[in-house]
Amino acid sequence: MANGAGTRHRVILALETSCDDTCAAVVTNVGRIRSNVIASQGLLHARYGGVVPEIASRHHLELIDAVTRDALERAGAGFDEIETVAVTRGPGLIGALLVGLSSAKALAAVRRLPLVPVDHLHGHVVAGTLGPEPIDPPYLALIASGGHTFLARVDDPAAYTVLGQTLDDAAGEAFDKGARLLGLGYPGGPAIDRLARDGDPNAFDFPRSAPGELDFSFSGLKTALLYTLRDLGDHEAGTRQADIAASYQRAIVEALTRRTAEALEREGLERLAIGGGVAANSELRTAVRGLGVRVWAPPLELCTDNAAMIAGAARFLEPLAYPDYLGLDAAARHSA
Amino acid sequence: MSLLGLDTSTAAAAACVLRDDGEVFEVAPDAAALTRPPAHAGQLMPAVADVMRRAGLDWSELEAIAVGVGPGSFTGLRIGIATARALAVASGLRLRPVSSLAALARGIEETDPGSVVLPLIDAKRGEVFAAAYDGGEKLWAPFAARPEKVAERVRGADFTPLAAGDGSIRFRGVLETAGIRVAPDNSGAHVVRALDVCRLAAAAPGEPPEAVLPEYLRAPDAKPQ
Ligand SMILES: [Zn+2]
Repeated sequence: MANGAGTRHRVILALETSCDDTCAAVVTNVGRIRSNVIASQGLLHARYGGVVPEIASRHHLELIDAVTRDALERAGAGFDEIETVAVTRGPGLIGALLVGLSSAKALAAVRRLPLVPVDHLHGHVVAGTLGPEPIDPPYLALIASGGHTFLARVDDPAAYTVLGQTLDDAAGEAFDKGARLLGLGYPGGPAIDRLARDGDPNAFDFPRSAPGELDFSFSGLKTALLYTLRDLGDHEAGTRQADIAASYQRAIVEALTRRTAEALEREGLERLAIGGGVAANSELRTAVRGLGVRVWAPPLELCTDNAAMIAGAARFLEPLAYPDYLGLDAAARHSA
Repeated sequence: MSLLGLDTSTAAAAACVLRDDGEVFEVAPDAAALTRPPAHAGQLMPAVADVMRRAGLDWSELEAIAVGVGPGSFTGLRIGIATARALAVASGLRLRPVSSLAALARGIEETDPGSVVLPLIDAKRGEVFAAAYDGGEKLWAPFAARPEKVAERVRGADFTPLAAGDGSIRFRGVLETAGIRVAPDNSGAHVVRALDVCRLAAAAPGEPPEAVLPEYLRAPDAKPQ
């Protein structure tokens, strides 16, 4: 490891633009986060009720250089200190991914630095290996966000095995769609979480579907919510909004927690890392702490999309030397 | 001093070094590249590295980087501009934005000096990005329209332009029916050349890299994913 003064590590600069957050981070090669900058576009997409790919791509391009510079400044690092550039290659919105990938390739090429293309999901899975109290394999990762919901087994942080995943909507999508039906804002997770605190989670019975062995399905849930709201009528649905939100949230959290418990049991694992934006949900955080295993629930900025986790994964991967990555393309879909 | 130029406004990826001694090192795609699926991410940086290597230049020996900012393919433009901006940031250079239609026009003029030229870049959804130039002077500011509209506008003008660009290949029928001359399909005039981006940039003032953005000319489709 090249760290001349003994305390100063050379760093990884990572970029992440797979969805609607423009992210850059500086992380040392032993996993200390020196900066983790996230420029969220959340509100921009609010009025469309979801991420608009072309709008997201345009904003990534507007923000990427400022976010990168900010990450370097906050880390107190110059270009000369960068040892490796890491970047999300996919999965995600292709136009959005290409902004970060193009920028990362060009930054690396000028200094002939090595580049590590990172699988976005791998970043989420190993986010718990960053920071002062990193999780050690073997562990189970539950990743739930607006874009993904899956369980993965990690024996070596260089890789992961998906044990189960959603067959339709992601858990975060279920929150967003539910919030929209309830007339709450976007993103829906925090809105439902807040409202649910004043409601009775057993007031309504929403389905918890459990397809396959360890898979998830959330699409039936929003349909059930739609029917419930229709049956109640506008007035009653309005007065019982907190009960509905609490029951809806309970159904999502229980579906996630039950599968997680089954996976821990089946795999004989005793450590759990949670990640993805839904990992910020207060009821989910409480519920997984009741599973009888040690839980790593990273701070929110490492749960939602961020570049520190991309640098985190890059630490365990073999970089591509200059010029081998110059022709690298983004991959919108997961190839694993 | 030497310039590096690039353009990704069409399906092709173009790069060029115009060295301070006037020597040109170029990756100039042929017209066939305009109708192939775009592969900017795969082609642009290898082309940039290639022209830099052939020119024997280090990044510190460039005066500035020039980039075609469209209008054109949104994704292509973002790849080109994100690349150019990061190259400039990492090497401490300024960026010179150039209109891709102006660069295309310059190439068309070279094949037919003296005539008014109509650079047309395919804008998808049945439209083209268009402009008109006469001897390097802009007669019409860039706009997006259906080819019939462009033909109508030409009819109302007092010139018979020569059109080229991937938009003119796609809508050759409509354009020729309206009396507009269109360069043969295999003509190099259809390609936005990075050499022309460099030439136009030679006199242009530099800008801080992050100030440079695409000239979209069209609002985004507001459909959520
Ligand atoms: Zn994510």
